[in-house]
Amino acid sequence: MYNGQQKPLLLNYTLIGVFLILFLSIFKLQIIESTKYTTIAEKNFVRIKTLFPIRGEIYDRKYRAIVLNKPSYNLYISLNKIQDKKQVTEFISQNFDLSLDEINKIIYDNRFRLYKDVLIVQNISFGKMVKISEQMNYYPSLSLKSEKIRNYLYNNHFTGYTGRINENEYTKYKEQGYSINSYIGKSGLEKYYEDMLRGKNGYQLLQVDASGQNLQFFKHNLDEPPVNGTSMILTIDNDLQYYISSIFPKEKNGAIVVMDVKTGGILAYVSKPDFNQNIFSENLTAEQWSNITNDPAKPMLDRIIHGTYPPASIFKLVIATLALEEEVITEKTKLSRCEGGMWFGNRYFKCWLEKGHGRLNVLDAIKYSCDVFFYDLSTQFSLEQINNFTKENMLTIRTGVDLSGERNGFFPTRKWYIDNYGKYVGIIGHKVNLAIGQGEVLVTPLQICAYYAALGNNGKWLKPHLLTKTITDTESNYIQPEIRQLPVSQKNMSLIQKSLFNAVNESYGTGVAASLSNVSVFGKTGSAENHMGKKTHSWFAGYARQDEFEIAFVVFLENAGHGGSISAPIARKIIQYYYNLEKS
Amino acid sequence: MREFDWVILLLLVMLLTCGIIAIYSASTTQIGNDFQTENYYLKQIIWIIIAFIITFLIIRTPYSVIEIMIPPAYIISLILLIIVLFMPEIKGSQRWIPLGLFNFQPSELAKLTTILLVTKLISKPHITNWQIISRSFIIFLIPIILIFLEPDLGTSLCLIVSFFVILTASDISAFYIILIISPLISIIASFSLIIFIIYILILIYILFKTNLDKIIIGFAVVLNIFFFLITPFIWNSLKEYQQNRILTFIDPMRDPFGAGYQIIQSRIAIGSGGFWGKGFLMGTQKNLNFLPEHHTDFIFSVIGEEFGFLGCAIILLIYFLFLYRIVRKINMLKRKEFRFAAIGILAYLTFQIFINIGMNIGIVPTTGIPLPFISYGGSNLLINILAIGLVLKFLNERSIFE
Repeated sequence: MYNGQQKPLLLNYTLIGVFLILFLSIFKLQIIESTKYTTIAEKNFVRIKTLFPIRGEIYDRKYRAIVLNKPSYNLYISLNKIQDKKQVTEFISQNFDLSLDEINKIIYDNRFRLYKDVLIVQNISFGKMVKISEQMNYYPSLSLKSEKIRNYLYNNHFTGYTGRINENEYTKYKEQGYSINSYIGKSGLEKYYEDMLRGKNGYQLLQVDASGQNLQFFKHNLDEPPVNGTSMILTIDNDLQYYISSIFPKEKNGAIVVMDVKTGGILAYVSKPDFNQNIFSENLTAEQWSNITNDPAKPMLDRIIHGTYPPASIFKLVIATLALEEEVITEKTKLSRCEGGMWFGNRYFKCWLEKGHGRLNVLDAIKYSCDVFFYDLSTQFSLEQINNFTKENMLTIRTGVDLSGERNGFFPTRKWYIDNYGKYVGIIGHKVNLAIGQGEVLVTPLQICAYYAALGNNGKWLKPHLLTKTITDTESNYIQPEIRQLPVSQKNMSLIQKSLFNAVNESYGTGVAASLSNVSVFGKTGSAENHMGKKTHSWFAGYARQDEFEIAFVVFLENAGHGGSISAPIARKIIQYYYNLEKS
Repeated sequence: MREFDWVILLLLVMLLTCGIIAIYSASTTQIGNDFQTENYYLKQIIWIIIAFIITFLIIRTPYSVIEIMIPPAYIISLILLIIVLFMPEIKGSQRWIPLGLFNFQPSELAKLTTILLVTKLISKPHITNWQIISRSFIIFLIPIILIFLEPDLGTSLCLIVSFFVILTASDISAFYIILIISPLISIIASFSLIIFIIYILILIYILFKTNLDKIIIGFAVVLNIFFFLITPFIWNSLKEYQQNRILTFIDPMRDPFGAGYQIIQSRIAIGSGGFWGKGFLMGTQKNLNFLPEHHTDFIFSVIGEEFGFLGCAIILLIYFLFLYRIVRKINMLKRKEFRFAAIGILAYLTFQIFINIGMNIGIVPTTGIPLPFISYGGSNLLINILAIGLVLKFLNERSIFE
């Protein structure tokens, strides 16, 4: 049984044993093997080298380049090798556009990254590089490296841009192998497909001493080669993209999208004004940055998915199909006589045509874009009904395009009106306005394009997308995107399509400026009143068909005037160009 | 205060002082001729002062009051261990509860309260062997599982070691302890048939020596053979990455970009220190990017590099004298629960020292255990000082029961 002396004796021996093991191991390490480890420490022999992958490039549908990589020369500093801090910082300051304070701040911020190369200056010109490389021998802490940066061949919003990782992104993503000097996708495709474009880091363990002898700490050779990023083929057509850019009205802001009706692939994606994305991988000065961000025209805004606007008359189709589907009207039903406006309670709502359209059926109401017809229809539906039907048509919700930061748009609810206008808000008056796409309803140009593509595709809505395949694929594997069916019967769909055709091809149709003799063009104009300026936003959206080629398009110009006179002629040029291109 | 052991306190203060010096150096970087120090050493001093104030209060509190507080303290520890599982992850595990000024680590508190509760329960008179085992098993198992889930393998192991040491120290016969440990050895031995046969023969021999019922011996042998047979089966059913994780734990050199690299860099730092060391603040290896815990888990590598073999030997000597003195004093404790608790505390401190230094010099796997009294770290430091405070209190109180 228990013996008061025996157990503590066991403890004594254990304690002595434990400390003896530690003592002897330390003795071996610090006395017997000391010389070996001293050399390794002094020369910093054992270290990990990260091998960074090459970022995937981006090409158009005909394998023509959009984004490539190009070499860039950068100056790095290795803090543990600094001998005289003052001397080094002065050398950098004299040769480059950096103050002593800025350099000292970089050094201070990285003081616990002694053994990492810290980036000091990027994109050094060749001449400068030759000049300083003669003096580099005096500063063992400095090194020049050639790296790859992005080269965007033309300004655009869909590819987005890459930039140096910032502190927040670094803390968030460092586990995934980003270094403090990494580039990361900041917007557009570069951000959406970051993982795919970036590839995977490789690692190499350096454990070779001065005589070239392998130190063999690690028996298992686990060096991993880097996996380069995947290059992508887009649905974009560079020719069409260039053409649209060239005919885009100067000094106007807006967005033009062209989509393949049968696949949902985006053929052209133009938002103006745009900016040169290359400045973000070069030495962006504070002045350049503030010029871009403070420009009232907002060149960094991608108006196609980040801009939301009132749809105006191009929204009337939604109300018309809702009325047809709910059997409130038929093809033949004529509503109140348009005498240039309509009274609701004590408020008079004007039609855009002062002298009035007379009594119209739905076909003509769309063709002439009569406001009164739709004012009248709005009384037949609740706000919620219109909202739900709008959403079922994939408007005022994200399309799910493969770009980052897409916006929803907006459709007001009863609750929203009460929250914003108080309990006694007159919903009917607001609803009248919403029926012609004015007031609070907001859509993105891409939503409109996808909606009109679906009308052209007999109600089959396809998710718009840009990526069609990777460069190694032989077939496009992204070609079958999400499909939805718009809630419109075949009979009503034909009627709507007919009305869109009439609007362009019959005399006095609002969209006649877009008509072409050899191509069937379907479309609807819109002129949206807005807070941004006196002139209306000019919309023209629709689709065009010739043989097996069918495209949908939206032409949207901020504060440019009427859709029929401004946007429709531009659409006509684009359609003509596209079909000439396809024929040749 | 009568019979207060000033020698233990003096040795403790020496260790804490070494810690502050090492932390100061570990958080200093030299760039060219420029030194920059983070304020970790000041925070450590504040923690030490707080810990000493609490310890002083505990020593002044009658033990009967402390005794009443043990069960609720254990329950609170468990609740905190559950709460911590819902906290945001820091460096891949959920060990800390952020409290604004500092992060509290409940597993440290749980270590102490578990030992105190178990030793209180198994020290009752007329208690059977099975009662000792079942009670201590359940009370240890809950916090061990909760801590393992964080995951914090190091602290779980600390508790497992304390559990076995307390069992060994208690009055139960050695047979039970062999019975509990033997399946673990079977699992390890199952990778080689010859080693397993030798092991089973030794086991049978020991069990026969204890003059036990043949049925019980037979049961124990069958149990061990069962574990021997099932282990390869379980091992093969593991996914490759799971196998790799276990193998990497046993042999960190398999992972040259993670644990293996840390250990190699730590060995280089210590080995390059030589006999005299490179001198205070003169270490060159301490700020390697892959050793982010140089003021916590890898502080010993800083000591080894800057103070050399001489510094390491002095630290080992102070630790040894400190622990050895406690062992000798435990001998004098007549009240069972004091003795068991002191042994439990001693066990986990020794285990932590061994694992931490062993990890720094690359002879044991990396588990993330700090070096007691020397590493930077609020909760760990506080609880370790409190534990020593309790041991001092036990020693101080012994005269009453003699």
